[in-house]
Amino acid sequence: MLKEALLDLKMGEEISVETDNDTSLKNLLSYLKDQGVEPKVSSAGNVHTLVTIKPEKDLAASNPAIYCTTDLPFSYVVCIKGELMGDGDPELGKLLMETFVDNLKLQEQLPTHVVLYNGGVKLAMKESPVCNSLTELEELGTRIMLCGTCIDHYGLQFDIGVGMISNMVVITETLAEAGHVVTP
Amino acid sequence: MLLLPERTPMDKKFDLLSTIEYGGCSAKLPAGLLSEVLSKLPVATDPRLLVDVDTHDDAGVYKINEETALIFTTDFFPPICSDGYEFGEIAAANSLSDVYAMGGTPLLALNLMMFSQEKIPLNVFGEIRKGGHDKVSEAGALTVGGHTIDDHPPKYGLAVVGTVHPDQLITNAAAMPNDILVLTKSIGTGALVSGEKNGLCSHEDYNRALKQMKHLNKHGASLAVKYGVRGMTDITGFALAGHAMKMAEASGKSFRIRSSQIPLLPGAYNVYEKGSIPGATFRNLEFTDQHAHYTRGVDYNMKMLAHDAQTSGGLLMAVNPDHAGALLEDLNRIDPEVSAVEIGEVIPESPRRLYFE
Repeated sequence: MLKEALLDLKMGEEISVETDNDTSLKNLLSYLKDQGVEPKVSSAGNVHTLVTIKPEKDLAASNPAIYCTTDLPFSYVVCIKGELMGDGDPELGKLLMETFVDNLKLQEQLPTHVVLYNGGVKLAMKESPVCNSLTELEELGTRIMLCGTCIDHYGLQFDIGVGMISNMVVITETLAEAGHVVTP
Repeated sequence: MLLLPERTPMDKKFDLLSTIEYGGCSAKLPAGLLSEVLSKLPVATDPRLLVDVDTHDDAGVYKINEETALIFTTDFFPPICSDGYEFGEIAAANSLSDVYAMGGTPLLALNLMMFSQEKIPLNVFGEIRKGGHDKVSEAGALTVGGHTIDDHPPKYGLAVVGTVHPDQLITNAAAMPNDILVLTKSIGTGALVSGEKNGLCSHEDYNRALKQMKHLNKHGASLAVKYGVRGMTDITGFALAGHAMKMAEASGKSFRIRSSQIPLLPGAYNVYEKGSIPGATFRNLEFTDQHAHYTRGVDYNMKMLAHDAQTSGGLLMAVNPDHAGALLEDLNRIDPEVSAVEIGEVIPESPRRLYFE
């Protein structure tokens, strides 16, 4: 019902929904969160009121065939080959890489994937200073992809903090299909 | 000897769905709650127990000798459809499925039933039992009795004993990295049952869901054995995502699932698209919660359908990539009524169990 109502609204218009049970409230919140909006909730006794604005995303276009491709106009993959950014002083290189990864989540258009290989996988370890930034990116829907061979090579199997372990077949596929590859 | 009444004509039928709020495997207690309680109970240990509750498997398995292990399982639930005979068939197919999910062959079945003769015409009792009996026979097993309690709403299912060669036992704990994930039935029985109730799907689509629920996982099981599948489970109340998560966890691996390749029963997507999402779906979503990751672009309805509670769902197999092609070809040739599809692969253990893209 909420979805139908949202379809009738203009972009940016407000809608208020009342519900009298916790389960429905949770379900509505889960749906809206997936649509990228955070509604305001006020509760009086058993009655919860949600106020939200219409999300900018086109709800009518939720066709899986459209959504499951990733060829958005400016889609890009970030490819991180090592721990350092640029050649020269390693201390500077480390600092630059950390700043680069921290900045990724602030981009208007987020990367579809961040691929990490060789020394790059160390950035996704629990102790890494950018583990939190990568986790935030993952929460926002970016796939963090780690080279499994590299993890094994460095013996890091038990230190992984974020990301999906992958293999060269998938990594090659991801890089080949990327609209654009950004390499720091 | 039970006398089975003739089936009553459609117009005089008692509607079993009128007795319940939610039926089939949607009536399961939430998975998280179950784990919490069960983890505090003592677990039986014995070297002859090849599979116990530890790995969240589908049945218990007890090794009798080098040639034979016993599979023991049960399942029962409230009505999933209006017709007694069909309910019996579906409940039985669902109970037998646990034996198939271990790569086994069912031998004997006992009826477990709750039924109130004050609330429901007695002929419906006979119809349910006839449906169950016929399905057990189709599986090549024997119904050898059972137990009925006066209770309402009705519930029906089986306790089943089967056997498997200990070397051919398939558990949910043996998926290996690079294995291909194959699903043998389409998703969406929960959606279509809810769709039928709310007038959001065609009768044709609903009937297709009923037909799939009655379908035995018999051929799937024998082909899994033939192609050396080691990791397998059947998809029921905890949905594709919940059962996949348990299998990944038991195997100490993670699964990568391509949401656009999850096969759907016709009409199921539309039920979700119209916003009619059963409560069980949200409960299942809560269960996988932090253990699953979705890349941006995974369709909301597909994410939700991956959590649609299935009744008598298909088998989820992890098969060696060298055999995946032949297995899929055989499955679709020998079992053309249901379609088997590759939906993803097993990856090394990663911070999350499931990665949907």
